[in-house]
Amino acid sequence: MQRILIVDDAATVRMYYRSTLAALDVGVEEAVNGVEALEKLLQAPFDLYIVDVNMPKLDGYGFLHELRSLDVPQVPVLMVSTEAQSGDQAKAFAAGANVYLCKPVKPEQLLLHVRFLLGGVRP
Amino acid sequence: MALIKAPQSQPVNEDERRHARTARDLMADLAAADAATRRWAARDLAAFPEAVAVLVARLKVEAEVSVREVILTTLTRLGDDLAIAGLVDCLRSEDAALRNEALEAMKQLPEEVAPIMRGLLRDGDPDVRIFAVNILESLRHPEVEAWLIDVIAHDAHVNVCATALDLLGEVGTEAAEGPLRALTARFPGEPYIQFAASLALGRIHEG
Amino acid sequence: MRAERNLEPLTISDEDFRKFQEYFYRKTGIHFDNAKRYFVDKRLVERIEATGSETFRNYFMLVRFQASGAELQVLTNLMTVNETYFFREEYQFECMVRSLLPELTARRAKGAPIRIWSIPSSSGEEAYSIAIYLLERWPGINSWDVEIISSDIDTEILARAREGLFSARSVQHLPPRYLEKYFRKTPAGYQICDDLREAVEFTRVNLTEAVDTRGYRDFDLIFCRNLLIYFDELSRKAAAETFYDALRPGGYLCLGHSESMSRISNIYKIRKFPEAIVYQKPQEGRCNVS
Repeated sequence: MQRILIVDDAATVRMYYRSTLAALDVGVEEAVNGVEALEKLLQAPFDLYIVDVNMPKLDGYGFLHELRSLDVPQVPVLMVSTEAQSGDQAKAFAAGANVYLCKPVKPEQLLLHVRFLLGGVRP
Repeated sequence: MALIKAPQSQPVNEDERRHARTARDLMADLAAADAATRRWAARDLAAFPEAVAVLVARLKVEAEVSVREVILTTLTRLGDDLAIAGLVDCLRSEDAALRNEALEAMKQLPEEVAPIMRGLLRDGDPDVRIFAVNILESLRHPEVEAWLIDVIAHDAHVNVCATALDLLGEVGTEAAEGPLRALTARFPGEPYIQFAASLALGRIHEG
Repeated sequence: MRAERNLEPLTISDEDFRKFQEYFYRKTGIHFDNAKRYFVDKRLVERIEATGSETFRNYFMLVRFQASGAELQVLTNLMTVNETYFFREEYQFECMVRSLLPELTARRAKGAPIRIWSIPSSSGEEAYSIAIYLLERWPGINSWDVEIISSDIDTEILARAREGLFSARSVQHLPPRYLEKYFRKTPAGYQICDDLREAVEFTRVNLTEAVDTRGYRDFDLIFCRNLLIYFDELSRKAAAETFYDALRPGGYLCLGHSESMSRISNIYKIRKFPEAIVYQKPQEGRCNVS
C-alpha cells in the first residue's frame, strides 16, 4: 500500500486531509513540522508528501531542500501555502515541489492531485 | 588504550578571558567569520540588555541557522520592547525561515507581546495576522477568546479565520458558538471552514 | 463562579481526550492512542482532583496557560516512565559501538581521547552502562582512550553514583557474566568494581547555567536521555544549543527514545543508523536555504 505523509503544524488541517484521503486506499501518517517529517521518513520513506510552508523548527522549503538532498526515494511533494503569490510558486517548483496549492484546499482538488501524483491510485 | 579518567574539568583560561569580555567585544564578535565565535557572543550577550538592537540587526543578516537560534534564545531572554519590535519586523521578512523562527520566539514571550496583539491582529498583511493568531496559542490573557471571535466575525481573509478556528476548538467556550455558526454562513463554499467549524463546535459542546 | 460539585465520579469524555491528546503531542511529540485511554484518563482525573480543578476544562486551561509550566511538568512526569536501570534503551549503546564510534574513528586521526558526556547521571547506571559496553562490545577500546564524564544537578545522587551500589532491580537486564565480572554482591546490593568507579568522572552541573557548562567542550558523543522532556520550551532549546557547542564538529547527541528534536531545535543533522536515530553537529556550518 502506498503511504502519504501529511506535514502541517495544525492538527485540524491534518485531520481534514486525512479524512479526505480516506477515500483512497492509502496509508496516511502525520508530522507537525519538517524535523519530525525527516525523522519519520528516515525510518520508512513515503510515496508522497503533503507539506505546509509555514511550520516551526523546519518549514516546508527547508524540509524540501533536505529531502531532495537525502539518499531516499525522490517522490512527489505537494506543497501547500497560505499565500498565492506567483513568486512563491516559482520558488516552490525551483526547490523541488511537484504541485503547489493554496489554502484552504478543497477535497476534490487534493484528491485529484494526489491521485495523479501517485499514478492511478484506486478511488 | 582504555577508559581513562578525564582531568578535572576546570574553566580553561581562554574561557575566563572570554567571559570577562565587554559588551563591546561581544557585539563585535557577532560579526566574526567563525560561527562558533558568533554563537558564543550571542549567548554571552544575554547579560547585556543594551545589546538588543545589535542582536536584532545581526539576526536579519545571519545565514547560519545555529547562530540565529542562539540569537533568538538571547532575545527571548532579554524580551524587552525593542526585542519584540525587532521580532515583529522579522515577521515581515522575505525569508520564510526567519519569519517562522521569529514567530516561535514571540510565542515564548506572551506577556510581552500582549500589549501589541490588538494591533497585530489588525495588520494590513494577512500573513502577519495569521502569525498573530498563532501567537495567541500561548497567550494567557482574558481577551484571547474575544479576539479570536473578533477575527472569525470580521476578518475578510479566509486563512486568517481558518487559523483562528483551529485555536477556538481548543480554548473556545459557549460564547464562540454563535460566531462559529455565522462563520460557516460567511464561507459556504469552503469545505475546510465547514469542517473546522464543525469540529470546534463539537469540542465546545462536549467540553 | 464555581460549578456545583458533581457527586458522580469524574470521567474524561472522548472529545476531552482528543483535546489532551493533540495538545500533549504538539508539546512533547508523545502520541497516546486510544489503547492508552485507561492509562491517560486515570492520570488526568488524578491531576484534576489534585489541583482542585473540578472539571477537565478548568484543568486543561490551567495546564495550557500556567506561566511556570509546573503542572505540565507534573503531568509529563506522570505520563512517562522514569525508571533508571543498567542498559536502559540499550539500542543506543548498540548504535554507539556498531555505528557511531566506527564512523567517528574512521574520520579521526588518533590523538586526543574520545570524550563522552552522559547527563543527567542520576545514580550512575547510564555512565557505567556506557563503560561496560565499551569494554565488552567495542573492539576499538583496545586502541583508543575514552573519557566518560557524567553530570547531574543533584549532589546527593552524584555521591550515590560515585559509590556505585545498585539494587537487584537496577541490574536485572545485565547479562549474568557482566554482573559477575563487574559487580560484587553484598548484603546492601550490587557493588560495582573499583576499576569502573575510577573510569567515570562524576561532576555537578546545572545544564541551564551557562557558567556551569562553559568548560564542557570537545565531546564526541553526548547522551541526554529523558531530561529535556521535563524542561520548558525555552530551556530545552537553550540546552540543545549548549550541547551543540559542547560537541566537536561531527559529534553526536542521543536523546531518549520518546524524545525528538522536532519539538526543540533545527540545528542538528538527523542521522539514521540501523540501530537508532541520532543527532549530529554538522562538520561545517549550515546556512539558510533561501
